[in-house]
Amino acid sequence: MRIVLLECKKVIMSPVIIGLFFLFTAFNLLVIFNSSDHKDELKIVNEIIDTYGREITPSSLELLKKDIQNDLLELEQLTGKRYDSVYDFLEGLDVEAYERYSDKEKTFITQLQLKEMYESTASSIDENYAKIDVEKLGHTSLEMYKISGPAAKTYLAENEKFAKRFDDMIQNEEHKEWFFAGKAYKMHTYLFNNIFLQMMIEILLLVVLSTAFLATYEFEQRSHLVAFSTRRGRKLMKDKLAASLATAVAISALVLGSTLGVFFMVFDYSHVWETSISSAFNWEYNFPNVAWWDITVGQFLLASIGVLFIGVLLISVLTFAISILIKNSYVTFFVVAAGFILLYMLPSFMPHSSNLLFVAGYTLPTLLMAISGLFMGSSGMIFFKNFEWVTIGVWTAITIIALFISFRRFAKLDIQ
Amino acid sequence: MIVVKDVCKRYGDFTALEDISLEFSNGLYGLLAPNGAGKTTLIKMLATLISPSSGEIQYNGENIVAMDQRYRELLGFLPQQFGFYKNYSPAQYLFYLAALKGISKQQAQVKIDELLAKVALSDVKHKKMKKFSGGMIQRVGIAQALLNDPKILILDEPTAGLDPKERARFRHLLTDLARDRLVIISTHIVSDIESIANEIIMIKNKRLLYKDSVEQICETLRDAVYETTVDFSQLDEFRKRFVLLSEKQEYGKMIVRFIHKGEKEEGWIPVQPQLEDVFLYEYQDEMVEEL
Repeated sequence: MRIVLLECKKVIMSPVIIGLFFLFTAFNLLVIFNSSDHKDELKIVNEIIDTYGREITPSSLELLKKDIQNDLLELEQLTGKRYDSVYDFLEGLDVEAYERYSDKEKTFITQLQLKEMYESTASSIDENYAKIDVEKLGHTSLEMYKISGPAAKTYLAENEKFAKRFDDMIQNEEHKEWFFAGKAYKMHTYLFNNIFLQMMIEILLLVVLSTAFLATYEFEQRSHLVAFSTRRGRKLMKDKLAASLATAVAISALVLGSTLGVFFMVFDYSHVWETSISSAFNWEYNFPNVAWWDITVGQFLLASIGVLFIGVLLISVLTFAISILIKNSYVTFFVVAAGFILLYMLPSFMPHSSNLLFVAGYTLPTLLMAISGLFMGSSGMIFFKNFEWVTIGVWTAITIIALFISFRRFAKLDIQ
Repeated sequence: MIVVKDVCKRYGDFTALEDISLEFSNGLYGLLAPNGAGKTTLIKMLATLISPSSGEIQYNGENIVAMDQRYRELLGFLPQQFGFYKNYSPAQYLFYLAALKGISKQQAQVKIDELLAKVALSDVKHKKMKKFSGGMIQRVGIAQALLNDPKILILDEPTAGLDPKERARFRHLLTDLARDRLVIISTHIVSDIESIANEIIMIKNKRLLYKDSVEQICETLRDAVYETTVDFSQLDEFRKRFVLLSEKQEYGKMIVRFIHKGEKEEGWIPVQPQLEDVFLYEYQDEMVEEL
């Protein structure tokens, strides 16, 4: 344990890694604060959930409609005119007239506008979902991705399973729960694509650098002859691996903790953790986000963090195995980066008629780059229900084999 | 006791060491050969950093590779190129190496202070090593080799970078240490070991040439080392005829020390052979190649 801690100290004393960590954290916070102009508007969802409950039921929706009518009466008192919707009022309003209202009145108008938007979306859920034909969309996707032959068969078979899941999801009414309006704010994409992707790339850069740094440290400092002839000998590499993994966990936790901590302080998610990730409000583009399982936003976040941790640890171990062979941290960094990019691009080299097209997508880079689409049946070419656990399982096996070979080779290596 | 049994080391087609058999018990051994003769290869095999291509090395009858950490915990090793952490102080670096050597924190603190005093580095124990001279770094290297109070101390070119005063101090230290342990010093500087080694090991053409006391090795040149005075005009001719060991200018003439295995000529003064004479004689070809 003492050796592991002393190894970790080497990373803490590395100005490059510490400098990059602070730079990345500052950048993440800047990105969050720069995109926080709508943070107050999101709070309406918390108020709606507080007042009407998380689930959208006919009775709760009716209550919301009644309250909106009361608010419209209040608007009538304010404006001296009766409106059926706040949008009618806003349509005929110029900036000068709007500015004559007090801040409190402006807030009331904005709140009413938001309530109407949420009510309108909630009221049209059934109508909008009734229009979705998953099986037909499957065929459209085949044409879009130009998939044919056995690959098309595989795709359609999985799509059929997803169609059943989609029907079950509607039956369970998982989609009838309040969440931030997807079309307006795209919070799922913002958090799980933009912010998570950004953090994931930063964490990977730091972890690959720190792992290669630790694994090759003795060779680069030319202290290898002393270090590997001590009592600990070549088993020092096991301590270095443990230190690399501990550092990877610490780096991931610090980047995730600082960035997500600030993110959730800026954007109040306190009332939506229990909302289903398949909520109709989590519909941002052409097709709603629909998960294979009935999971909440909180569970989705934890699962995403879990996948990120596992992926990062596997890449750390792979980097370590490569470092032992290469013995140069910067060359290792570029080899890992090149491997990551090549694996991510692998499906594009596969014939669109072969199942290899999908097999080539079961890679760590694809898994990590697709955080926002994980566990979803609506995530394009990686929509397979088994995608996450098969990818993690296969790459865990590959990683263990690579490490085993690398350690065995190092045990017999002439240290010059 | 360490026994090197029929050890060969090959790298592809290149043979670094051929059929080396040696025995080491307590005392100080000088491994003497010019650069590139295979000293470092043998030393690294003794430190388990490289494995023999054939043959084996045993400690008290057990293969040192199989003994693994039981062997290395007896070992103190200073490599020829002693790498160090530039941004660490000697105290920090020795503390790290103490952990690798399985020494407890408390013991390490005491031992580090003691060793840094021994190598005259107490004043700079908390200074970053990047500011250290070559001699100071070498002294840190010597201190780390002694951290675990090793039964087997292997030092590869330990005096590189040390000034004459430090060399003398180091020789005294080694003499003390060799009283109750096995010390192997690899060097190409004869004076480093001539006066302190119990036995000298010389390797030539990848094979063991001598393993004997200084006196016995010098005996091989008995009645073959002479000194004489030569005119400058005759010096070139003299060089062609004999193996010159040294040349010294005095009163407009050259006093030469040379080897001749045959009849003594007039004016030649027989002198006692020294280890350096044997070294220069045996490795004359390698030295010509080096030049």
